[in-house]
Amino acid sequence: MRHSKPVLSAAGKIAVKNLSPIFVIACLLITFKPVAHAVPSYSRQTGLPCATCHFAPPELTPFGRKFKLDGYVFTTKPEVTDEKKGHNAALAILEAFPLSVIFDASFTETKSPQPGTQNGNFLFPQAASLFLAGKWASHVGSFVQVTYDSQGDHFSWDNTDIRYANATSVFGKPLSYGVMFNNNPTVEDLWNSTPAWGFPFTGSNVAPGPTAGALINGGLAQDVAGVGAYGMWNEHIYLAGTIYRSEHIGGAQPNAGTGFGINIRGVAPYWRVAYQTVKENNSLEVGMYGIHVKSTPNAVTGPEDSFTDWAADFQYDRTIPQFNNDVLSFRGSYIRENSSLAGTIVDTGNGPGAAFTRHHLNTLQGNVEYHYGTKLSGTVGLFGVNGTPDPILFPQAAVTGSANGDPRSNGYILNLSWWPQQNIDLAVQYTGYWRFNGLQTNYDGAGRDASANNTVYLLARFVF
Amino acid sequence: MRLISRVVAASVSIGFLTLTLTGVVSAQNDAEKIYKTNCVLCHAPDGSGSSPSGKALKAEDLRSELIQKKTDAELAAAITNGKGKMPAFGKKLKPDQIAQLVAYIRALPKK
Repeated sequence: MRHSKPVLSAAGKIAVKNLSPIFVIACLLITFKPVAHAVPSYSRQTGLPCATCHFAPPELTPFGRKFKLDGYVFTTKPEVTDEKKGHNAALAILEAFPLSVIFDASFTETKSPQPGTQNGNFLFPQAASLFLAGKWASHVGSFVQVTYDSQGDHFSWDNTDIRYANATSVFGKPLSYGVMFNNNPTVEDLWNSTPAWGFPFTGSNVAPGPTAGALINGGLAQDVAGVGAYGMWNEHIYLAGTIYRSEHIGGAQPNAGTGFGINIRGVAPYWRVAYQTVKENNSLEVGMYGIHVKSTPNAVTGPEDSFTDWAADFQYDRTIPQFNNDVLSFRGSYIRENSSLAGTIVDTGNGPGAAFTRHHLNTLQGNVEYHYGTKLSGTVGLFGVNGTPDPILFPQAAVTGSANGDPRSNGYILNLSWWPQQNIDLAVQYTGYWRFNGLQTNYDGAGRDASANNTVYLLARFVF
Repeated sequence: MRLISRVVAASVSIGFLTLTLTGVVSAQNDAEKIYKTNCVLCHAPDGSGSSPSGKALKAEDLRSELIQKKTDAELAAAITNGKGKMPAFGKKLKPDQIAQLVAYIRALPKK
């Protein structure tokens, strides 16, 4: 089972505490890097190899999706049980505690060093995670992650998905349904075309990344708490909805909003609808999802920003019997964010945070991956972001800024993963930029070109 | 006196029949519960293997002649030890539960 965990770097933490709200969002989007996880305690619980649930971790097979849909509770292993009799409650807990570990070590080098810093950085570890992942009780299971981030030098609460699941029949067709608690919009999703579990499944948290990104594309990860419900009817129609509130792990409670760019006013509704069809060698999903957030930057009262994200996604997996059941996967998504920055534009003493109230942002990404058995997988991905230019929202700054206030970035990612064992991932990844924060050359006004951020990333991941 | 004997005999018979039927229904319910908990994920509620995960893993149709012509011992062994991509359930399910499951599988073609 894979986890896409945006790692908040030290720079991100500083930004959260001290800087203007929109810059905070920008920094979060720069410093949140997806980290993918698969969890062996599920394998120990089910008695099945990783490859039953994953084409390559974290990409879910139809079996893996059903395992998640059913609340992570399927097991073939001994349990401590007691029958529900009269006024006595039942019991069904695993004999083995569902604990897992991931250890990531990495190396990152950009084409040109970031000014005044070392290029070619080893992180040992980049991150290490502990998981409580498996069956808690009848119909209740979890994916709970705590991660040590070497840049922050501390453990922090990470992606969490706790769910109750059950099944019934509606109109003569099976309905799997459940209630869930989670801290990251799309972490509950079943496919790898949505942000929490999307490509790239792992990445450097040292190299610079484009400043602009939609809020649902990792901007709320681990900073919100939500409760929701979902259902899969007739194995085809998937509906899910969650409402979120700001949580601000690490911040003072009750939340005063100070120092945080996003303080959800009321609740933020997240919605998801998808259609899937699975044949013997083909699996297709098309869907939509989105979120609406009203937020007051740095406070819990006052003028509000408003963000509405609409997204469409698809995933197609083709098993090729002629090639020993190798799998070819296609995934894509488009996110449209419309925002009104009525809160950010207000001058609170440090100047306004934006030049205009109305903004939009388009995010397009697609990738194709070939799985050579369970030993190798190669992926080619394209990505692009564009939207409303704003010289205050996207200010000029060395490396991370934009000389022309344009959020446009685009490029490609090539990834090759070798799995000598199903729980060891040795990966090499290359990220290339055609345009970075608005321009191809001298994009930051300090003489840095987009291609200077081209990145080679090596990863050794051990999962046990 | 004769009437009383008949009433008592009838009551005993009804009681015995009720207990017997309750036991049968209870066993069926137990078997169905075991099936739903452990087998539906791949083999689907009707045993056809037509669930998405069943299709992807090419799970057998439990109603098919191929499966139904196997002996009870063969079916029990497959459940206990696993077969192909199917995991072993021998450490989780007790022998009497596996026997109930075999009986439930036998009844699937008639449902």
